[in-house]
Amino acid sequence: MTKPIQLSPKDMISAYLLFFIIHGAQVGVGIQGFQRIIYIDARQDAWISVLIAGIATHIVTFCMIKTLEIYGSNDLYGIQIDIFGKWIGNLFNLMYIVYCFVACFSVLRNYIEVIQAWLFPSIGTWFLSATLLIIIIYAFTGGLRVIVGVSFFSIILSLWILPMLAFPLKYSTAESLFPILENDFRSILKGAHSMTFTIIGFEILNIVYPFIKDKEKIRKPVHLGLLLSTLIYLAVMLVSITYYSGGKLVKTIWATLTLFSFISFPFVERFEFIAVCFWMIIILPNMCFYLWAAYRGATRLWNISGVKFVWLFSFFIFICSLVIQTRTQINTMNTIFGKVAFYVVFVYPILLWPIALLKKNFTSKKVKHNEQA
Amino acid sequence: MNKLKVTLVVLLSLFFLYGCVQTNILDKVGLTTLVGYDKGSEHKIETTAVIREVNPEFQSKVEVITTENDTSKGNRMEANRRLSKKIMVGQMRVVLLGEELAKEDIRYYLDTNLENADVSNSIYMAVVEGRTAPFLTYEYKDIDDIGQHIYKLIEQNVRQEFMINATLHQIAHDYYSIGKDLAMPIIKRDQEFVELSGVALFKGGKMVSKLPAKDSFYVKIVRDTFKVGLYETILDNDDIPSKILQKPTDKITIAFDAIHSNRELTLVDAKKPEFDLDINIRSRVLEVFPDINQGDRKSVAELEKAIEKKISKEIARVIAHSQEVESDIFGFGEKYRSIVRHSNLTREKWHKLYKDMKVNVNVKFVILRDGVFE
Repeated sequence: MTKPIQLSPKDMISAYLLFFIIHGAQVGVGIQGFQRIIYIDARQDAWISVLIAGIATHIVTFCMIKTLEIYGSNDLYGIQIDIFGKWIGNLFNLMYIVYCFVACFSVLRNYIEVIQAWLFPSIGTWFLSATLLIIIIYAFTGGLRVIVGVSFFSIILSLWILPMLAFPLKYSTAESLFPILENDFRSILKGAHSMTFTIIGFEILNIVYPFIKDKEKIRKPVHLGLLLSTLIYLAVMLVSITYYSGGKLVKTIWATLTLFSFISFPFVERFEFIAVCFWMIIILPNMCFYLWAAYRGATRLWNISGVKFVWLFSFFIFICSLVIQTRTQINTMNTIFGKVAFYVVFVYPILLWPIALLKKNFTSKKVKHNEQA
Repeated sequence: MNKLKVTLVVLLSLFFLYGCVQTNILDKVGLTTLVGYDKGSEHKIETTAVIREVNPEFQSKVEVITTENDTSKGNRMEANRRLSKKIMVGQMRVVLLGEELAKEDIRYYLDTNLENADVSNSIYMAVVEGRTAPFLTYEYKDIDDIGQHIYKLIEQNVRQEFMINATLHQIAHDYYSIGKDLAMPIIKRDQEFVELSGVALFKGGKMVSKLPAKDSFYVKIVRDTFKVGLYETILDNDDIPSKILQKPTDKITIAFDAIHSNRELTLVDAKKPEFDLDINIRSRVLEVFPDINQGDRKSVAELEKAIEKKISKEIARVIAHSQEVESDIFGFGEKYRSIVRHSNLTREKWHKLYKDMKVNVNVKFVILRDGVFE
């Protein structure tokens, strides 16, 4: 077995903070417009798809924690090297870094697209991406504890958006939800599969695990974080299905934001403009965590300092944001990334657990055998 | 620490750079408050825009500009060429459609407004009797800002529930749903006034018929619920039970307000289809003429019965009319779709079913109280 990661207590974080880490890493750009993608597959049963996807996250997380517990205090990168050996393990690590890179980039690009579509059509992509990147670089250089702080405040500060869902209820009709389960199970599952892009983020647990102080207490905050995300997705989905008619929902690109476009206060005429701007606080932890996860992997592969890595990483993201310009490109990227992410986040951890178990049994037998000899 | 300072400086400078984004200063833009669409010549769109120019020194000016072009954005460009100020649509409150255009297809006008993030989903839509251009360009004696006037007119009527609510969101909702057709208020010029004159019924994207403004009460009571509202009706001789009258008369006029209503729709028979429509109304009677002894429990009950009968009759008439023109503005189809499994309902299929649909109207009317003077 590889050596567990040695950390000084001041780098460690308490287990209850995992609630904010998991939830903060999950909720991001996906929630702005996931409704129509699910609705196309599952029609009025889309909320069941959301529920199924939510349950799947709990199962996957269960497997993740089991795998991590076998190794005591190590992250996914260490586990992969241990299981698959130096070469293949490092190859897998490299792939995981690329995955984190694309995830971080897709969050950034999607958010910029929203700003350009809703607020400033003429503002340059380079300008927005540079600004956002500098903010996450700033957060990253503070270390994990700062990033966790960012996600903590991101959640606390954006809680007020939730009650806004009550406004559209005025125009909702429950009839849109019926008949329940009219669509066959396959299309509902397909809808759940389409949730991938929106619901991922909790895989950060694989990387953050060694940094938790009291590891035996992590189950509760992790699952509560997942539960909160699922409930929020479910609430948004239910409101959207009842507020829009089917045909309109399919044609609305950012249904959550359009939901808000009805709300107006005496002091704010168009509430969704506030929401779009405020969303930056919601996506910050997303990007920070992926950046940080990529860095954890990179330190194992190369001897690279954090500052050097973050500038390099940001530079590549910046270049990519110049390449991907049109809506069609972004949509293609999202679809492909969603498909890949399904295997990385939902399938791989479930496969990894039995492999890790086998490996452990095998090595412990071998050790025993050696001792006897 | 030094590095943090560097990042902070870069961040701050970028922060201030946001000030260089294109600005829209109030006295440099013309605010479009209302847009009217008409059918132009040769597939073109004729647009009449009411634009308010805010001027800090003088009174603000209202311009009504009519242009003709291939797209609505083309019209905006052309209107821009005639004004000293940049035209913005963020403050748009009302979209009007010419009658001729509404009878063709309104889809383009819905989509063009839905697509634009600047346009709020809560703007009102209405059909103009005749063409919108002469309706808007007419110099009304007492109306300064025709755009604002029409907006306030529609808004207060909708708030008081005299008129059905037709915001862009609701219209798009109905347009894109299977089993519900959209309806809009009709607006027209009457001498020096602007007046809501009726309700336009649509089949798909086409206006097929209209109902007089008085019927909007029945449309609204079947479509959704009442919370305030005011209504008057005339009970004819054959509706009136003779017992309650103190003197013989031909008809009773009656007015009630503070109406609370809810509707319940149940599908009785999916094949035909047949619906039960139960409507509960509770209200306050304001006027009864000639007098009826409202202190007597029996005669109040009789009066309630008579009103129930009258309202059921009127509702049945309105529904029958909408069936005749195949415009399901009440959403019977949505109910049908939500109950019948695997109905694979399409709009055409439903319109066919709707024509032969049977509705049993049941009205329950409760007089809560009368005024302060009996």
